[in-house]
Amino acid sequence: MPAPEPIRIEGLTKTYCTALSRRAVRALDALTLQVGRGEIFGLLGPNGAGKTTLIKILLGVVRPTAGSATLFDLPVHLPAARQSIGYLPENHRFPDVFTAESLLTIYGRMGGVSPALLRERIPRLLALTGMTDWRKARIRTFSKGMMQRLGLAQALLNDPQIIFLDEPTDGVDPIGRREIRDILATLKGEGKTIFLNSHLLSEVERVCDRIAILNKGSLVYEGDLENVGKVSVAYDITCAPIPEPLFVELAARFALKATAPDLSGLAKYHVDDLPIDRLNELVDRLRGAGIAIQALVPERRSLEDAFIQLLSVGGSIGGVRA
Amino acid sequence: MIGVFLLTVKELIARKITIGLFIVITVIWGALSLALQLDVVEGSLAGIRIMGQAESVTNEAIDPETGERISSMLTLDRVVFEVQRVISGVCYWLGTLLALFASAPMISHLLERGRVDLLLSKPISRLAILGGHVGGVLFIMCSMAAYLFGMVWLVISIKSGIWNPYFMLSLVVVCAVFATMYSVVLLIGVWLQNTAISLLVSYGLIFLSLLLALRTELLPLLNPTGRFVYGALYHILPNFAEVTMIVVQLAAHEDVPSLYPLISTLLFGAAVYGWAGYLFFRRDY
Repeated sequence: MPAPEPIRIEGLTKTYCTALSRRAVRALDALTLQVGRGEIFGLLGPNGAGKTTLIKILLGVVRPTAGSATLFDLPVHLPAARQSIGYLPENHRFPDVFTAESLLTIYGRMGGVSPALLRERIPRLLALTGMTDWRKARIRTFSKGMMQRLGLAQALLNDPQIIFLDEPTDGVDPIGRREIRDILATLKGEGKTIFLNSHLLSEVERVCDRIAILNKGSLVYEGDLENVGKVSVAYDITCAPIPEPLFVELAARFALKATAPDLSGLAKYHVDDLPIDRLNELVDRLRGAGIAIQALVPERRSLEDAFIQLLSVGGSIGGVRA
Repeated sequence: MIGVFLLTVKELIARKITIGLFIVITVIWGALSLALQLDVVEGSLAGIRIMGQAESVTNEAIDPETGERISSMLTLDRVVFEVQRVISGVCYWLGTLLALFASAPMISHLLERGRVDLLLSKPISRLAILGGHVGGVLFIMCSMAAYLFGMVWLVISIKSGIWNPYFMLSLVVVCAVFATMYSVVLLIGVWLQNTAISLLVSYGLIFLSLLLALRTELLPLLNPTGRFVYGALYHILPNFAEVTMIVVQLAAHEDVPSLYPLISTLLFGAAVYGWAGYLFFRRDY
C-alpha cells in the first residue's frame, strides 16, 4: 500500500460572501495540488491570490465551499489531521504575558505533547532558533525577528511531519534568515514536508524544490523550481555585426532585436519566444550569410522575472500550466 | 482542552485588572475584619437585656396577610445574618460587574487574527477550544468570588462565633449567574470580536433586569401589547436583579420562595452558550 501523500487538494473552492452586500468573492477556484513527502513546497502569488485562504483551509481554520483537502489522507476538518503538523502564521500574536519557555510549554500541551517530552524538546528548540538566552524573558520585550524565531520553535514543538510557514523570514535580519534557511534544510533532511508561503521570491528560490503560483484563486503554475527560472525560448546571440538588409529580414521573421554592440567589434542580439527548430533555422540563416557566431546563450531569468511574466502575460514556462 | 484552559488561566492571572480585582477583594475583607466589631454588638445586646430593656431590642412588624403584630428578639445571630445578607447582595452586584469587566477582553484577545488561527491549527476541536476558554475564565472568576465570600465568611464567623454555612451557598448562585452573564460576553465576542460592545450588552441586560424585577408595579401600567412584550422579556432575559433576593435569602438562611428567576436565568445562559458555540463552530477565521 503506497504511503499517504502529506498534502492532497482536489477541486478546492472557497467563496466568501461580503457582510453587507452578500456579494460572492471567489478566493480559490477548483484548485488541485499535491505535495510529496520531504519536499519544500513554495506557494507564491500576489496579494489577494488566495494563498492564505489555502493554508487556512489546510489547517481547518477556514471551511472550503467545495472540493476536498487531506493531510496524510485525513480530511482537514478532523482534529486528528492536525496531529502531526506545525504552523507559523503570518503576523502571529502570542499572549505577551508569557515568557518564551512558558509559552512553548502551553502551546506544546495544546499540540498534544506530553510534559516529559516538552522538558526535553523546549531547550533544544530554543537553542535551534537561537533563543536560549531569552528563554526567561517576557514576550512583550521581543523584537519582530525574535517573535519569528519563537514562532518557528512553537511550530516544531510536536515534531511535525508537515510544517506550514507563512512568511517565516518576515522581520528577520539577514543572519537570522540564513539560520532559518539552514533549519529548513535540516528539516527537509529529516524527511519533513515544508509548505512555505512567502513574498520573498529570492528566499523561495533558495530553499524550495517545487512551487505553485496562484493568481485570483487559480493555479497559474505548478512545477519544479528549476523549470521556472529557465526560459528555453529566449536566447542572447553574440556574433559579427549583421548587415542591415539581413537584420531587417531576420527581425521580421524571428523578432530578432539588437542589443548593445560588443567592444571587441562583435554585436549582441536577442530573440524571444523561439522554439528550438526556429532557433536552428535562424542559426542556419546567419551561418549561410557568413556571419560568425561566437556565443548562443539561453537566457536564465530570476524567479521574480518569471513570476511577473506569468502574472502579467498569463504565459507558461517549463512546468505545468494549470 | 487543558492547554486552552491553562492558557486562559495564566493569561488572566497575569493581567493587571485581575491583580487589581484581587487587591480590591483583599481590601474589602481586610477593611471588614478591622471595622466589624460584633463583640461590641453582642456586649451591647447582653447589657440591654441585663438592664431589663429587652423590649428595646425587639423587632416588630405587621404580618401583611393576617394583620397580626409579629415580634422577634434581636439576637447576635440575627445581626450576623443581616450583615451577611447585606454583604452578599453587595458582593453579588459589585463582584459580577467587576468580574465581567475583568474577563470581557479575554475572548476578543483569543479571537485576534494570528492567534485564533494558531489555536485552530492545533489538534483540538473548536468545542474544546471554547470550552477550555470558558472553563479558564469561570475558574479564575469563581476562585475570586470564593476568595471574597470565603474570607468575608471567615472574618464574620470568627468575630461572631456564629458559623452560617448557608452564606457560602449563595456563592454557588453568584458563580452560576456570572457564568450566565459571561455567556453574553462570549456570544458578542465570537460574533463581533468587540470588547466594548460585549460589555455594553451584558451591562445593559443587567440594568434591564432592574426594570423586569418591577413586574408587579409596571405590568398594570402597560397596554396588552406592552404587557405581552414585557412578559416575554421577563421570561426570556436573565433576571439578574431578582436573583439578588435569592442570593441574600440564601446568605441569611431564609426560605427562598421561588427559584424561578434563577432557573430562567440559567436557561438563558445555556441557550446563549449554545448559540456562541454554534457561531464559533461555523465561522471562518
